[in-house]
Amino acid sequence: MRRILKKGIEHKKARWGWFFVLPSMAFFAVFSFYPIVNALYTSLFRKRLLSLRPPTFIGLENYEYLLKSPDFWNSIKATFIFTLGTFIPILVFSLLLAAFIMSRKRFQKFFQMAFYSPAVLSSVVAAAIWLLILDPRGLANMGANFLLGTKGVDYKWLASANMVRFSTILVYFWKYIGYFTIIYITGLASIPQSLHEAAKIDGANGWKDFWHITIPLLKPTTVLVSIMSMLQCLKTFSTQYLFTQSGAPLEPINVITLNIYNTAIRDHNIGRASAMSIILFIIMLFFTWLQFKASRSGGEVDYM
Amino acid sequence: MDVIIWALLIATALLILSPIVFMFTASLMPARDIVKMPYRWIPEELYLDNYAQAIRGNDGSYIYPRNILNSFIVAGLVSVTTVLLSALTGYGLAKFPFKGRNLVFLLIMATMMIPFEAIMIPLYLVATSLNIQNTYIGLILPFLTNAFGIFLMRQYLITFPDEILDAARIDGSGELSIFWRIILPNSAPAVATLAILTFRSQWDNLLWPLLISQSEEMKTIPLYIVKFAMEKHTNEGAMMAAASIASIPILILFITLSKYFVSGASLYSSRKG
Repeated sequence: MRRILKKGIEHKKARWGWFFVLPSMAFFAVFSFYPIVNALYTSLFRKRLLSLRPPTFIGLENYEYLLKSPDFWNSIKATFIFTLGTFIPILVFSLLLAAFIMSRKRFQKFFQMAFYSPAVLSSVVAAAIWLLILDPRGLANMGANFLLGTKGVDYKWLASANMVRFSTILVYFWKYIGYFTIIYITGLASIPQSLHEAAKIDGANGWKDFWHITIPLLKPTTVLVSIMSMLQCLKTFSTQYLFTQSGAPLEPINVITLNIYNTAIRDHNIGRASAMSIILFIIMLFFTWLQFKASRSGGEVDYM
Repeated sequence: MDVIIWALLIATALLILSPIVFMFTASLMPARDIVKMPYRWIPEELYLDNYAQAIRGNDGSYIYPRNILNSFIVAGLVSVTTVLLSALTGYGLAKFPFKGRNLVFLLIMATMMIPFEAIMIPLYLVATSLNIQNTYIGLILPFLTNAFGIFLMRQYLITFPDEILDAARIDGSGELSIFWRIILPNSAPAVATLAILTFRSQWDNLLWPLLISQSEEMKTIPLYIVKFAMEKHTNEGAMMAAASIASIPILILFITLSKYFVSGASLYSSRKG
């Protein structure tokens, strides 16, 4: 009798569980899963945005075209330069800044807030501000001339290919360094103080302690920061969009997302844009998987 | 060594804050003073014409206030729906064991890996087929909830004391009533964090409104600023004024409620760290 009662309660709970979960499942089915499947489907067609003609099935022709297209490979190159050039400095500096902040007894909150503040702004606002700073007559040239001892040199932040790449990296770095510093601070705070004290007793000075205890124990955090910053960089759009709309050269910073947008909206070529989207999706899946593996292969981080 | 670290921290803080300071000071200067070298950090006088110009718009249409209102409406509504749906789903995942629960959770987390850029075109086509382009519903619909919000609520609700819920059930409360009257009011930290982070994220949204808003009346703040930057003879001062206006609500939110922004960042790290 008791078993029947228990089963009844379990069933009731299960039913309510589904009830609470169903609305968002329905939402994701329509607004996440269906679109990605649809993008895959559309990528097999030649389809124009506003035409009333039915799309023509062309199989993998869009993919063939893209894989042979110098323009698309340029986008891949631009995206990778941007991603690597941003996430590596972020990884290094956010750890350093977090360590510095944690070593201070006071003003921790102030520094955290100061570093984090650019992330709070809208990315369009950030791009607009930097558009002015990087202007030939702007602060960037002033600062660079001052630091490098040159006079009146225009470093062409938004005009020359390499500089405009550097500029987009600079903006992104500025925007997100604080966010990842805070993540590292949380990671640092989760290392038990007893471990540092034990190391001290064993004679390890500050640097040894940092290198042999802190950094290995930060591995999960480091992996997390890596994945998140890399994925964030792969998705960049606003900065490159605003820069190119204000006259910066397209080719050096024609990241995949910008290319997708232009191909769909400016060139009306939805089939090809969908194929690019699928390729981007696969790239992101790949990097997520890659770093997931990297976090496993090092073995479990054990405090003992 | 100690002094070096202080110096580095202070220098970095100043460097990072200076573009924001630049935005505000430049908004109070006539355009020709902004580009004068060297830059005068403190404006000679409070030149408010930039703000008038930003609000008036380069075409004199005074559309910016409407765009600001749109941003408030969209960000506000998305925050509300996200909190409600995420709480519902997180509650179901946290407190109700059912077969397939883990699979459901994994599927929801998987949506985080779908870049918006990859689905923006199909979403746009769905929106046009529903005829909701250029409407508030069109702006809001793809963002009703998201995996991060669900994760946050589930994380929080897992630790919610079961005894309270069971006691309420024994007293005869219905499940929905328990959700509405016990769970939600007592989840204030998670709800507040989610609401604030969602609001900021929607405030920042450029790509979707770029696709979906076709008339000037339905555009949001980021689109207005893009318009400014695209002008042939940009009035730099007015552009900074527009940017300042766009940033003030969010900065106020940040300064007064900073712990929710920061806790959102550290919550992400506690997931895998």
